Amino acid sequence: MRRGLMAWDASELPIETIHARQGKLRAIMKAHKLDAFIAYTNISHPAAVSWISGFTPYWSEGVYCVMPEGTPAFATALSKRVAEWIGTVMPVGEVIPTPAPGTAIGKRLATAGAKRIGIIDLDDLPARQARAILAEVGGLELVDATDAFNAIRCEVDGSERALAAKAAAIAAAAMKAADWNAKSLQALIAPCEVHARRAAAEDIFLSVAPDLNASGRFQRTDTATTLGSSFALRMSLAYKGTWVRMVQSHASNPAEAARFATAQKAFDLLMLSRDPEPAVREALAAAGADLKSWSLEQPRGSSPLVCVAGTGITTGAYNAGAPATFNAECEINGARWLASRPFA
Amino acid sequence: MPSITHKARLDALSDAMKAQNVEVFLVIGNNWHADYLRYATDFGIQEGQGIAIIRADGSATLMLDDPTECERARAEISGCDVQYAPQLVKEARAQLMRSGNRNVAASPMHLLPYGLVNAGNDVRFADGAPVIERLLMTKMEVELDCIRRASKLCDEGYIVFRDAARPGRKDYELVAEMEGFFRAHGIAENFMIIGVGGKEVRGMAPPGGKVLKAGDLVTTELSPCVDGYYAQVCRTLVVGQASETQLKAFSVYQEALEAGIKTVKAGVTAADVARAENDVFRKYGLGQYTTSEYTRVRGHGMGLFLDQKPQILEDVDIELVDGMTMIVHPNTYHPDAGYMVLGDAMVVRPGGHELLCGLPRDLFSVSAH
Repeated sequence: MRRGLMAWDASELPIETIHARQGKLRAIMKAHKLDAFIAYTNISHPAAVSWISGFTPYWSEGVYCVMPEGTPAFATALSKRVAEWIGTVMPVGEVIPTPAPGTAIGKRLATAGAKRIGIIDLDDLPARQARAILAEVGGLELVDATDAFNAIRCEVDGSERALAAKAAAIAAAAMKAADWNAKSLQALIAPCEVHARRAAAEDIFLSVAPDLNASGRFQRTDTATTLGSSFALRMSLAYKGTWVRMVQSHASNPAEAARFATAQKAFDLLMLSRDPEPAVREALAAAGADLKSWSLEQPRGSSPLVCVAGTGITTGAYNAGAPATFNAECEINGARWLASRPFA
Repeated sequence: MPSITHKARLDALSDAMKAQNVEVFLVIGNNWHADYLRYATDFGIQEGQGIAIIRADGSATLMLDDPTECERARAEISGCDVQYAPQLVKEARAQLMRSGNRNVAASPMHLLPYGLVNAGNDVRFADGAPVIERLLMTKMEVELDCIRRASKLCDEGYIVFRDAARPGRKDYELVAEMEGFFRAHGIAENFMIIGVGGKEVRGMAPPGGKVLKAGDLVTTELSPCVDGYYAQVCRTLVVGQASETQLKAFSVYQEALEAGIKTVKAGVTAADVARAENDVFRKYGLGQYTTSEYTRVRGHGMGLFLDQKPQILEDVDIELVDGMTMIVHPNTYHPDAGYMVLGDAMVVRPGGHELLCGLPRDLFSVSAH
């Protein structure tokens, strides 16, 4: 559940940017002969509505509907009072507080005479919402419009790039604020969390690979017990609806720590140059790190970050011009080393 | 390592499936509604979505659409076949088809994906509420222990919140202090919302960047989570000395909370508790502020979800039973003072309740300088 700063700032996300995005959406509606475009949102799948409208829910769910003309409608199960709050953080859209968002949107579609509706991530749309929409409009056709949406979503504007850069900067500073010499996991992560939220992070998830000698698997911080001689901290962080990930490995042995630092420096430089693969493999090798597996994550559909390329992934969906997070697992002198960095 | 509550929960779920003649139980979860998935698999999902299939023979499959969450599940839980499923709904559909034509129930129904019910197959989903909702509401002793620990952290956490509230601070900086406190105490999750200001404030929300100033009311609810179980506390403070108007207004909330708590015992309904709270407001001519125009609920259950059934409302006739955990909170807008909150958590017992909150029910004040 979101609990950090949630606010709309016109200097970061100008209303013109939202209108431009919705204009692209309307263009593909025309191209695909769609009478409306619908995106569902909740805490775990907020990315599409966030991109279209600037709004992310802190709780509950909603359905955002764009038609060829007029103000888009956002029907949400949040209360009338919370709808007033939504109005302050969602720059474009009419808020409809209702216990039945699908029904409210269905009525709008019926009034407009809509027959063919594009839906992002149709399979994932809760059946209750889909059925409520269908119940209001006879003969309605629901079409999965995820690919069409992703095609315009890959055109990155300046606002998105700036928000991604800000999120990455907060994450980097928060990672630096962690108490890396702490005796306990709790003491390690608490300053990291405080720093991120003071810097206006909307949300942050921390997990830890507590003993890299044993495993590279991350665990929630309340399930891990003691820290080994080398461990890694993973952070997923959101700022104004934009998510990044970061992983930092740490070793208490000075020689191993020096090797980790050399690899990290090479990795960070590569991320700045936005030149992830195969350049990463070569540069890490030069820094003594053997890249064992890697992945790239970007927003897709309603998911904030999805693996779009990497070891064992052959879909080729990576958008080279867009912000991404690069995740790497390496071996350095026989030791496991994990790293992730976002680049805007 | 499985949590200490998992074995007890699995046994209870198995019995409930048998009682309802359910052969396959499908549960869905995400970071908003993690409770059903956690009850059935012990996995506390943080990112992405998950679907678990629990079978009558005790076998279970957990599918997750995030690869790191999948690896985390493999490290954290046992007794489940954990699978990475980037096409989550398609994979769940395939698994169900392989299970054959059985009695399948699903929960929570409001998250059941369209792709599962619109697959052109013969799988029919019964509402799984009769299997699991009573289990989620009524806690076993091992579950109550977690909620007691979370409640203790509510008390300690509110003192941290109160001491951190001072003029010039932004609302999200207060949240940062709280999250730092909870992480330092091994708590991975907390839910909180906040209200800052005067009569213009009509509720709580995530922080929006407001700066605390003298005279402001600062409302919050803290909801730390221990081993998956949430507890909650609601309190209001004033930056500076509380005015006579604020104190007089707050006395209505104190009286309403006491009336609500006094009503709580096994055998009464959620409506009885809500009515007791609201009658106090009505007595002072404030009845309109107990409606949905100004307030959502007058309390609610808490457990693996922080806002679970029963919702404390005058039209909810769910009977309270021994072992239910809930918060009573007559939070609403007051026309003279603004939005105020006050709420204590408790366990329902046969003759009354076990109070979990140890904080004074005061309108707190902090220095305005």
